[in-house]
Amino acid sequence: MLKEVHMPKLSPKSDDYFFGEWIKKPGEAVKQGDILFEVETDKVISQVESEENGVLKEQKVATGDTTKVGDLVATIEVSDS
Amino acid sequence: MEKKEAPKKPDWLKVTYDQKKVDQMNQLLSGLKLNTVCAEANCPNLGECFGSGTASFIILGPNCTRACRFCDIPHGHPKPVDLMEPYRVAEATKRLGLSHVVVTSVDRDDLPDLGADQFVKTINEIRRLNPDTTIEVLTPDFQGHEDCLDKVIAAKPDVFNHNMETVRSITPKVRHRATYDTSLKVLKYVKQHAPKTTFVKTGIMLGLGETDEEVYQLMDDLRAIDVDFLTIGQYVQPGPKNYRLREWVPMKRYATYYREARKRGFRFVASSPLVRSSYKAKEELEAVYGK
Repeated sequence: MLKEVHMPKLSPKSDDYFFGEWIKKPGEAVKQGDILFEVETDKVISQVESEENGVLKEQKVATGDTTKVGDLVATIEVSDS
Repeated sequence: MEKKEAPKKPDWLKVTYDQKKVDQMNQLLSGLKLNTVCAEANCPNLGECFGSGTASFIILGPNCTRACRFCDIPHGHPKPVDLMEPYRVAEATKRLGLSHVVVTSVDRDDLPDLGADQFVKTINEIRRLNPDTTIEVLTPDFQGHEDCLDKVIAAKPDVFNHNMETVRSITPKVRHRATYDTSLKVLKYVKQHAPKTTFVKTGIMLGLGETDEEVYQLMDDLRAIDVDFLTIGQYVQPGPKNYRLREWVPMKRYATYYREARKRGFRFVASSPLVRSSYKAKEELEAVYGK
């Protein structure tokens, strides 16, 4: 089953973030708790973890993109278990 | 004109932010209508502290009557004093099971007591509901008014913290209506008049353009008035309108400053980029009590 990954809320004060770097590549296996990508908020670089087990299918944003909370960031093909 | 781009964020600023844990904390505090300095100042340690059930409360807010250039707390017209706030902070301390609580405030230059009475009430309420919790206050300078300081001293907080924020030469560039000498005077007065059981603490930010000599001079100034605890952390520019970050200070310098501060006789020193004045604050008391 394909699951969508949306930009989580990473700062209590802001909903717009600069997309940092992808840690996982398309086709790579991901586990719950693995760091998927980094996002630059005002004060920190937030590392966002996967909530799913599966394979990263598609990256929908790239380094430097401005993203908003709730934006579609990636899709993960979730493993059946 | 300050047009330079901010230097690239270093790797130690990489943090995980667990919204679920933050939500849990917010839920725990919901209904209490409390502000935490953690959320108001967008603290980099928020995820970690909320995740471990630690928070620092900011009273008399949300708006501050001063507009310091390093700070992210909203500056604006102050709200009437909330008489139930001390009780709610005490209740939150209880709900979170805090063994050490930090209470700070916005500046309230509009109030006749400059906010001192609310500190006293909050300390008393916390103690009433949480007799075993140690209490740390992080206060404004109260414009150096001794009657305000006397009130808070008399409530016997375990730690009386007032931040110097930076070295002498940079103070007028980043602080609003606060001076280096008034802050020193506040710390000196508290040290001289508080009971021996109250530790006196201050904190500074690095990365504003200060030199080693200035930092050592500040340490000497603080030791000359017998300040007990010193925290040193990295300034992180909250937004484009704030004071421009000059430098991500290398880790080695934090270690040097730690050694220099200990050599000068501070009883506890925390010196590391993510140190904030209330970050892991209970560890300093544990260190001096030898727990």
